[in-house]
Amino acid sequence: MKQRRFQPLLAIFFVLALLASACGGSDGVVDAVTDAAGDAVDAAGDAVDDAAEAVDDAMDDDDAMDDEEVENEDVAEAGTEAEGDVDTAVEAVDVERQQGGELIIGLEAESVGMRPWEDTCSSPCYNMLATIYDKLMESNSEGGYSPWLLSEISPNDDFTAWTGTLRDGVTFHNGVELTAQTIADSWPIWQEGAQSASAIGASNLAGIEATGDMEVTWTLSQPNSAFPAFLSRAPLGMVFEPGAAADADAFNEAPVGTGAYMMVSRDLDNETVMERNPDYWMMDKNGTQLPYIDSLVFRPIPDEGTRLDAVLSGTTGVAHTLRQGTIRDGRAARDGGADLTMFEFQGNNVGGGMFNVLTPPFDDVRVRRALVHLNPQDQVIEALGGTGISLPGTQWFSPDSPWYSEKVAAAWPQFDFEGGVALLSEYINDPARSDGKAVGEPIEAELSCPPDPTLIAAMQVIEQIWSSTGLITTNLTNYDQQTHIGYALGGDNGFVGSHTTHCWRFSDDEDPSISMNQAFAPPTAEIAEAAGLPGVVSPLNFSNYFDGELFTNLIAATRTSDFEERYALYEAVSLQIAEQTPVWWSGHTATALISDSAVNGVTSWETPDGILGSGMPNAEGRWAQVWLEE
Amino acid sequence: MARLMLVRVARLVATLLVVTFLSFIMTSLLPGDPAVAILGQDGVQNEELLRQVQDDLGLNDPIIVRYVNWLGSALSGDLGESYINSGQEVSDVIADRVPVTAQLAVMAIVIALILAIPVGILGAYKQGRWQDKASSAGVQVALSVPNFITGIFLIWFLSVKLDLLPASNWNRISNKGIWANLQTAIMPAMALGLTQAAIFSRLVRSDMVATLKENYVLAARAKGLGDGYILARHALRPSSLSLATIIGINFGALLGGTVVIETLFAIPGLGFRLINAISQRDIMVIQGITVFLAVVYVVINFLVDLFYSVLDPRIRRN
Repeated sequence: MKQRRFQPLLAIFFVLALLASACGGSDGVVDAVTDAAGDAVDAAGDAVDDAAEAVDDAMDDDDAMDDEEVENEDVAEAGTEAEGDVDTAVEAVDVERQQGGELIIGLEAESVGMRPWEDTCSSPCYNMLATIYDKLMESNSEGGYSPWLLSEISPNDDFTAWTGTLRDGVTFHNGVELTAQTIADSWPIWQEGAQSASAIGASNLAGIEATGDMEVTWTLSQPNSAFPAFLSRAPLGMVFEPGAAADADAFNEAPVGTGAYMMVSRDLDNETVMERNPDYWMMDKNGTQLPYIDSLVFRPIPDEGTRLDAVLSGTTGVAHTLRQGTIRDGRAARDGGADLTMFEFQGNNVGGGMFNVLTPPFDDVRVRRALVHLNPQDQVIEALGGTGISLPGTQWFSPDSPWYSEKVAAAWPQFDFEGGVALLSEYINDPARSDGKAVGEPIEAELSCPPDPTLIAAMQVIEQIWSSTGLITTNLTNYDQQTHIGYALGGDNGFVGSHTTHCWRFSDDEDPSISMNQAFAPPTAEIAEAAGLPGVVSPLNFSNYFDGELFTNLIAATRTSDFEERYALYEAVSLQIAEQTPVWWSGHTATALISDSAVNGVTSWETPDGILGSGMPNAEGRWAQVWLEE
Repeated sequence: MARLMLVRVARLVATLLVVTFLSFIMTSLLPGDPAVAILGQDGVQNEELLRQVQDDLGLNDPIIVRYVNWLGSALSGDLGESYINSGQEVSDVIADRVPVTAQLAVMAIVIALILAIPVGILGAYKQGRWQDKASSAGVQVALSVPNFITGIFLIWFLSVKLDLLPASNWNRISNKGIWANLQTAIMPAMALGLTQAAIFSRLVRSDMVATLKENYVLAARAKGLGDGYILARHALRPSSLSLATIIGINFGALLGGTVVIETLFAIPGLGFRLINAISQRDIMVIQGITVFLAVVYVVINFLVDLFYSVLDPRIRRN
């Protein structure tokens, strides 16, 4: 009997020792487990504890309103540059660049395809495509757009036509010269492409003509002062050789752009190898031929911990990440002496969720505002692993954005337990309450997120606060990403969706019109008809919130190029969102490229005209101007 | 024997039909719209395009019709085309990924055998003594630790700390040679092999304990043959019958069971592709790989059954 007892004990000891050695590295390695489970559990535990304390405080403290004022002060400070915010600064550098070498870049995921007009693309994929294709325009450090393959572009008086001139001497990888006719010949392909067809609709693009050898005219069906933003995005902005694209599948295997690199091999899910384009048209400001690095190797490494370990071990030179937990672990490794550089970016992209305002009781603004008041942002961000990294969201824009508004930040409903309870009580005691339940009966809310451990932890924080009111029956659900999107999309019920309170991400670092117009356009044909906007329907209005005045402001912002005027319109829109709260926020998403210290130039790239670029929003590098130091 | 074969083959076909049908039903019932996955969030703005893609994929047909269509094509070797990676045949995906996963599975089993046979023999030979207790404890550890934990530990220790091996991805023999290939294969194979080693060593030990009590082993000892000679030449072979069986079955299981390890190490095998296909709702790829794995498993079990029948006439008679 003693022998039998001894063996399991010994085994348990070894298992614990192995787990401890795997999870407890002093330099923060072995992050996959900690990131995916351990940290989430820890963060969830801490955050739930904090949430419980917050509830206790709110209920016990006689002077709850004083607490709210403190919270508001914190947010106001965050508006400038909060402690722990990531440094998104871009800066021109004047040092000698070295040429040559190979850089291996670990990406979060594989690109499903290499055709910008057709394939669904996100940050990892854009890292790859941007090496093969040049764009007509590029985003700059001022939040605007500067010519890239174009040398200039200008609108007509009412922004219904844009005329641009292409640069001379640009050739595709197959030797074909870039002319205005190339762009015109791409038009039929763009019209058919899954991604570009949607961009055509969103941008009001009606046609493209070659109006000279190098002059292209884009004609729009409606005015759009932000049209250059579409020429900086993959579907309509990345220029490919239309002759080669005629065979789309073959093109996918051997894409042809004008970019600094040419794809030489692609082993799906393993590695894609790019080599320098020897005939690349662009020089740096010192007259040095670009690109600096000879070859780039992109490797999809889905596990966050392995991707960071790959940099730490020298297997790769760069790790791409969209996860706060990985940024935290990268910082810890760097602070522990690892030879790492953290290129971090605090983008507009903001987490949170939305209410389906066509579904009672979320059609009532009192309920929505109450639930926003009952959202403890700091604890949610802690549960998400973003403390010290992610700033609390108050609007569509991060404090680093030129579109950010202090006025909106002040207007956003802060955590206020008593205020939330008061609003909810008013609703449930209203005999005319919209959900048809008896007076005094709690409302029902299905809070749904994808099954990410940190999201689940964040949901639990919110659920605990909501449940503690005694006025909300909360049902937490988790569906995989595709199902989650499908429920919000609601293709089977006229795009109303079957969601109620749904985790979501909003905004990006493009022109505000691109994401906001589709997010707040009429969500259904019936609503569009009623608003006198027949045919103007956006399935991407996932909250289903529509207001004529708000949408009018959004449209007005696409009919002027004056920044102050546009800013005022977007501020008005944002104030209305803060008032009506069809959405709620957690924190802005920090992203990063984590590299060994030999990698330089990630944040200092410039346009052909010497204008400083936008750095690396969404961890999308512009690799042609990155160099390696020995 | 011929009749037995016929019966077994008939059963195999029936099993495969059930397996393919169930696999098809289950993957088709996954929530989420493949058309949305194909078009992406931006693409679904165009409702007409969304409907067209759904029609093109036959998503509006009854599930039985879709299964019969799929089975008809599959029987002629056409498993369809990936919804997401345009132009990619599912059969090509499988043909491309099987060698990677098979190599991992073979290496895992080889590593497992290298560890398991000496440990199993030692445990049996020193039954009840400290060597047996220590090896049994080690086996329990190996069985208790999930293979991804082992994988994470190996990355941290061999890649980050010692800088001996690359932390991720796969060097193909055709591109980079055998040595570079082994550098990327050894850690995931070790992570997979450790659990197998524990299972195998338990089997070897228990069979060997029984064998060592057989009369012919006692006779060999009485003749004065050395322990090492007896263990290697007289005891190991008869103790390996169940080991051979479990190797066959576990090889089939490993082909489909490398999902976590392939994802952790970013290895382009069947499991990694399957996970990507699931997250992308690439139904044709999910069905193709699932059915392939099921077929491999069923066929291996069938061959093991036949192998038993060949070895043991009593099974044949019954």
